[in-house]
Amino acid sequence: MSYENKMLQLKQKLGKKKEQPKDKPTFQRPEKPFYISEWENAGLTLVENEYGVLFKREVTYPLEFQHGTYQLGLFYDAIKKWQLTSINHPYAMDFDESIVFFDTETTGLKGVGTNIFLIGLLDAFDDSFVLTQYVLADPANEAAFLYESKFWQQSKTVVTYNGKSFDWPQLETRWTLNQHILPKLRKQKQIDLLHSSKRIWKNNLERMKLTKVEEEKLGFNRKGDIPGFLAPIIYTDAIKSGHADALMKVLHHNEWDLLSLVTLYIHSTNLLLEQRLDESATTYTNIGKWFGDLKYINQSEDVLSTVTTNYANEDAGLAHYYLALQQKKSRLYKEAKNSFEKALLFIEKREKLKAVEQLAIIYEHQDKDFEKAIHYTKLGLKIIDNNQFMKKEQTVKQRENWLKRLQRIEMKQIKNSFELQK
Amino acid sequence: MFNKKRSIDELLSEWRYDEELKQNILHWTTLEPRPAKYASFPNNLHPSIQKALVARGIQQLYTHQREAFDYAVNGKSFTAVTPTASGKSLCYHLPVLQRILEDKSSRAIYLFPTKALAQDQKSDINELIEEMGEEILSYTYDGDTAPAIRQKIRKAGHIVMTNPDMLHSGILPHHTKWVSLFENLKYIVIDELHTYKGVFGSHVAHVIRRLKRICEFYGSDPIFICTSATIKNPKELAEKLTNTKHELIANSGAPVGKKTFLFYNPPIVHPTFGVRRSSVLEVRDLATRLFEAGIQSIIFAKSRVRVEMLVTYLKSLTKNKIQDESIRGYRGGYLPTERRKIEKGLRDGTIQIVVSTNALELGVDIGQLQACIMTGYPGNIASSWQQAGRAGRRQDSALIIYVANSTALDQYVVNHPDYLLGSSPEEALINPENILILMDHLKCAAFELPFSMTDTYGEFEVQELLEFLQEEGVLVQTSSTWYWMSERFPAHEISLRSASQENVIIIDQTIPAGTKVIGEMDTYSAMTLLHEEAIYLHQGTQFQVEILDWEEKKAYVREVDVDYFTDANLAVELKILNEDKSVTYNSASISFGDISILAIPTIFKKIRFQTHENIGSGKIHIPPLEMHTNATWMSFNLPENWSEEMLTDALTGAAYAISSFIPLYIQCDRSDLSVVPQVKSTHNEKPTLFIYDSYPGGIGLAERVYDLLGPILEETIQHVRNCPCQSGCPSCIGAQDSLNESKHKVLKVLSILLKEIG
Repeated sequence: MSYENKMLQLKQKLGKKKEQPKDKPTFQRPEKPFYISEWENAGLTLVENEYGVLFKREVTYPLEFQHGTYQLGLFYDAIKKWQLTSINHPYAMDFDESIVFFDTETTGLKGVGTNIFLIGLLDAFDDSFVLTQYVLADPANEAAFLYESKFWQQSKTVVTYNGKSFDWPQLETRWTLNQHILPKLRKQKQIDLLHSSKRIWKNNLERMKLTKVEEEKLGFNRKGDIPGFLAPIIYTDAIKSGHADALMKVLHHNEWDLLSLVTLYIHSTNLLLEQRLDESATTYTNIGKWFGDLKYINQSEDVLSTVTTNYANEDAGLAHYYLALQQKKSRLYKEAKNSFEKALLFIEKREKLKAVEQLAIIYEHQDKDFEKAIHYTKLGLKIIDNNQFMKKEQTVKQRENWLKRLQRIEMKQIKNSFELQK
Repeated sequence: MFNKKRSIDELLSEWRYDEELKQNILHWTTLEPRPAKYASFPNNLHPSIQKALVARGIQQLYTHQREAFDYAVNGKSFTAVTPTASGKSLCYHLPVLQRILEDKSSRAIYLFPTKALAQDQKSDINELIEEMGEEILSYTYDGDTAPAIRQKIRKAGHIVMTNPDMLHSGILPHHTKWVSLFENLKYIVIDELHTYKGVFGSHVAHVIRRLKRICEFYGSDPIFICTSATIKNPKELAEKLTNTKHELIANSGAPVGKKTFLFYNPPIVHPTFGVRRSSVLEVRDLATRLFEAGIQSIIFAKSRVRVEMLVTYLKSLTKNKIQDESIRGYRGGYLPTERRKIEKGLRDGTIQIVVSTNALELGVDIGQLQACIMTGYPGNIASSWQQAGRAGRRQDSALIIYVANSTALDQYVVNHPDYLLGSSPEEALINPENILILMDHLKCAAFELPFSMTDTYGEFEVQELLEFLQEEGVLVQTSSTWYWMSERFPAHEISLRSASQENVIIIDQTIPAGTKVIGEMDTYSAMTLLHEEAIYLHQGTQFQVEILDWEEKKAYVREVDVDYFTDANLAVELKILNEDKSVTYNSASISFGDISILAIPTIFKKIRFQTHENIGSGKIHIPPLEMHTNATWMSFNLPENWSEEMLTDALTGAAYAISSFIPLYIQCDRSDLSVVPQVKSTHNEKPTLFIYDSYPGGIGLAERVYDLLGPILEETIQHVRNCPCQSGCPSCIGAQDSLNESKHKVLKVLSILLKEIG
């Protein structure tokens, strides 16, 4: 039967409501699902609170636990490394904070109709890491599930992967829907490791999927993992059928995600604070630029010069370029000129145009070497004419500006030679 | 030639003695001026608002503005019928601003039918707020809103100006991000209410039911303020759209100047076939006269092509002046800055003639002009008055010239000035009960908030429908509640501007490197409008369909400039599924109910503009399509001594004539309803005329036809009888291939029906 035919049948059932005021129902404890024993047999524990029921799974990891390249306990060494620097980096932590790694699994990607069905928490304690996974018993028991996360009670430092734009806003949405029952959700300090990974591995890793980062950087390969996109279907099936076998695989997926967050933090800290040179020039250049953007000029110059001295010139183009920008800002024009000229052969597009522009400016205004300034201005015009990185209007405008520059310098040159003759 | 500036009155007295003009002016009607009716400012009107009004030179309100304020502060939802330039925006600005000033946490939503209108209105309200010297934040929120300020708007915007589509897919499904708006929502303003009709209106009715449901969740109970152009049923439409009781403000207190209406019919150039001179050429000549008399005018034309034609013709008047900007076109698709420039030019008088599509019908502020010419009937009375309302400065006389095309409806209007000037505009109909539309929005509603086992949705009992959605796998049921449990995001799958499940996407490939989607169309309409080689008109531009990928539902079109349009034939098999209402007479019967239509596309014809001659044809290769919809059908006994062939011609002509006149009673386009004859109907073997909604599930049009059949038939007969052609023309029963008895037979069929039914 076609969809329309079905609709036509349904139409006969469409009734109209008689107007009657409805009393807002007070909170009623939802009923328990029918599959409690089945889920318990699969390895989950039933938890009851005043809002209903939920399921829970707990695992304790010793500090010596090996996940890929790193032992979990090295996390505390990482914190110590941050404490030993003077840098107040947004990713720095200290020993006074309660730290929890946080990751959720959801039934969709956006909107109010997307449920969180799994909250995974990995707490960092002095002597161990403790994994706690809360599973939504069914959508009716959502308040109980959210309440148990304790995010209304404690303030912690929450470490996530894409949590700033996904997991946390989703949690806020679910909380808002239950705001008439639950205590208020607390604000938490957040550290999003997707953001730092993007800064560190831009142009180095093609995709920033956590499993990719694990394989390429953290020495961890998952075996028997279910792909994340299956999670929604698996959960829906679990609450419809009562079977939890596949659901347990989603819990393992979530568990690996959380463990990798710990080692990712360790690895990122090492990269940021120690130049061990076991990654590519691109990675360290990114790191140097990041310090620069955070206004830690010394660190930035340190890292960038490490790249320019230790890596081949063709890999260090961007490092020379960023270094040059900083040198110019510090009015070290000679050094800047030198770095820009070194960078020039190995950078392209926007950066190249910018470098050429900076050189033209230095030669025009600092050195009054108009011949060199004209040379770089003409080079800039050539880049603009052949460029494929700017929109048409932008190209036209840039061209105009550069032609003006050329005219001005040529005038200066003529004036200069005239004065010399005198 | 000697040009002299003249006033409207001077010009009209000249025209009274102009023999050439006079023979084409069928009617000459003057509406006397009406003075303004004022009311004082309400006592409690906030001093800042008073200050801003006085700064604008407003010392007192028009009566309708005061009435609006009083209803609003008393917590009553209302609908104000407001003609053009009657200060309608103050009907909602005043109570909204007052409320915000009294309590800064208050919020309001302004809903405009399009993005462009919301953006136009933003500057209006912001000027007012600036003059008040208060800190009130009003923003537009639509696809163009920069991500950086979205969060600020959600948290702190007092007035959020948006459109139904954005509300549907951008706001309601994310309502938890708008908590402060929904918790404190005091007013929902719906401007241009009359545009919410048909499929679009039916969808929006549900968007509003969803909105109300969310408000209830957050504990707010907003008041609705609607403003509408003149339609027959503003209150009923508002109540149906918002599912809320409304008060009606029907009388405007704004002053009206003297208005003279001329009904102008182009002369007949081919008497036998009833062909008249092109209305565009007539309009050109009339506009030239106005231009030479120095009268600031607006000319409305139905399509972009016609606008451009007229602009080109008229620009020749100023070709000897350099950089002259006194004649301009104005249509959809212009950039905001360019539009602002034209609007300013009109206000300060540097532009003397503007030629526009109906883009200027809606509330854009261009000030008032002296004269208005309508090239053809805009399709309904409400639009006509909106267009006519553009002419008429406060105290001055205004001139409105209606120039008829040769279509049936146009000819009717030019011959019946009372129809336009009398006080019975069309009804605007919506049908929130359309089950397909309802189901679409029920999914969205379930996504937005779970339904309990006792919940209703709007005025509907929906438990069985929710059960169906569970069977479909998008809901799960717990002991007390239905929850959305699917990865899908239902709002993205539903377009407010169409009724069917699946739409054909229209892709413009005029520029090979820059192909873009220019629209979409429901599959049923696509069969006749988007087949290969069809000429598809989009905002007045002609496109030819080059490839129709029916599997993928994509039509690839290219812009063309041709002098014909295409008309496709569908062989239609009708099956009655369900008869809801029926009346039987001696030898005839009429019924209303659900029908199934199997549409089989056959051939299309290429038909030349103006002359309507057939200049080619081709086959259509699209598989048959089934659609269920609402229909009214009437059957009668075969007149004695008639052959089947005679009957076929007569029924075809009768169907053509009837379908032309339905828009006189119900605000819809000709294409919203189809009239299909069957010589021997399958259900009772009698000659039958089916009138059905062209949209799956129906939008309530056919049902109204059931109630209005008598008057529709009467009007149709009169018009066909009075049409000056000999044996049928495009103005009455459709173009005829030869001189024959068709017209006589059509009248006979119609009379039989009227005798029985009327």
